[in-house]
Amino acid sequence: MRGSCSSISQLLERYFDREAGDGERALVESHLPDCPDCREKLMLLEGLRETIKAPVDEAFKEETFPWVWEKIERKIRTERRPSWRESVRSWLDLSPLLRKKVWVPAVAAILVLFFITAQIFLKKIPFHPGASVVEYVESETHNVMVYDLEKAKATVIWLFEEPEEETFSS
Amino acid sequence: MAFRRTGGRDIFIMKRKAILTISFSILFLFLASVAFGQVQTRFRVIRASNVGTGVDPSLRDVHEQLGSLFSFTSYRLLTDETLHLSPHQPASISAREGQIIIETTLEGMHGRGVAELRIRVGREGRNILNTQVRLSPGRTVLIGGPKLREGVIIYAISSIF
Repeated sequence: MRGSCSSISQLLERYFDREAGDGERALVESHLPDCPDCREKLMLLEGLRETIKAPVDEAFKEETFPWVWEKIERKIRTERRPSWRESVRSWLDLSPLLRKKVWVPAVAAILVLFFITAQIFLKKIPFHPGASVVEYVESETHNVMVYDLEKAKATVIWLFEEPEEETFSS
Repeated sequence: MAFRRTGGRDIFIMKRKAILTISFSILFLFLASVAFGQVQTRFRVIRASNVGTGVDPSLRDVHEQLGSLFSFTSYRLLTDETLHLSPHQPASISAREGQIIIETTLEGMHGRGVAELRIRVGREGRNILNTQVRLSPGRTVLIGGPKLREGVIIYAISSIF
């Protein structure tokens, strides 16, 4: 079966684009020798492809892709591994942080943390200059005497094991 | 394309540096707070008796105080320790083969370098004294009385700022 011209002409584009199956290709190829119209359509398609292909190829040759790749390859080849000193310097370099505004919330967070930790570790107790050195003293087993010597800047807390004991100088 | 990639790497490095900076700052602040909150306290354990005469050369700075307060003829230094007291962390020293223990806790700080200390004296497993004192720079707190051989034991506590 050689097929009608109208049905073959529908297959011609698929045949030309090499998308036709084996059966369709055999059908078209058996039809073409006997049909000058279909041969002419096929030749028109080939001409159209040539018309498009030539400027595309030319444009592709003029594109800079090879130059870009050469540049990338050259960069890869010439880029050396940084020494450990350069790596450390790079890690310690804070200039990128200072260029951006990210340090503002960071500094704010650090200040908040400082005030929180300072409150925990440096608990301030109200100071009364005239108050006694000894806040409280208690002993269930001994008699206790507290004696402040302001001149000598000394405070004595003495535990008496025996009530009649005479330890202090008169 | 290449420019966009470099920008992304910069942002990654910046984030990494920001995290590192903040982490180190937190660590530094924590350690600084702990160190700043510490108080150095000097504990001297003295044996005072009427056996013999003389004052230990290392007790010269408290000799005047001791001599004006007590009638003992001999003062011997048994232990001289400096403790780094952290807030609410008890520290203790012992004397008389561990039978007498003095435990000190830094309760807090007043202004002008005055440390609030809670002191507990224990003897053979019993509490014999509980007290809380304000220790200012240059002041010495003397706790004494427990017998030690022919004399008594005296603790001299002073802070170092």
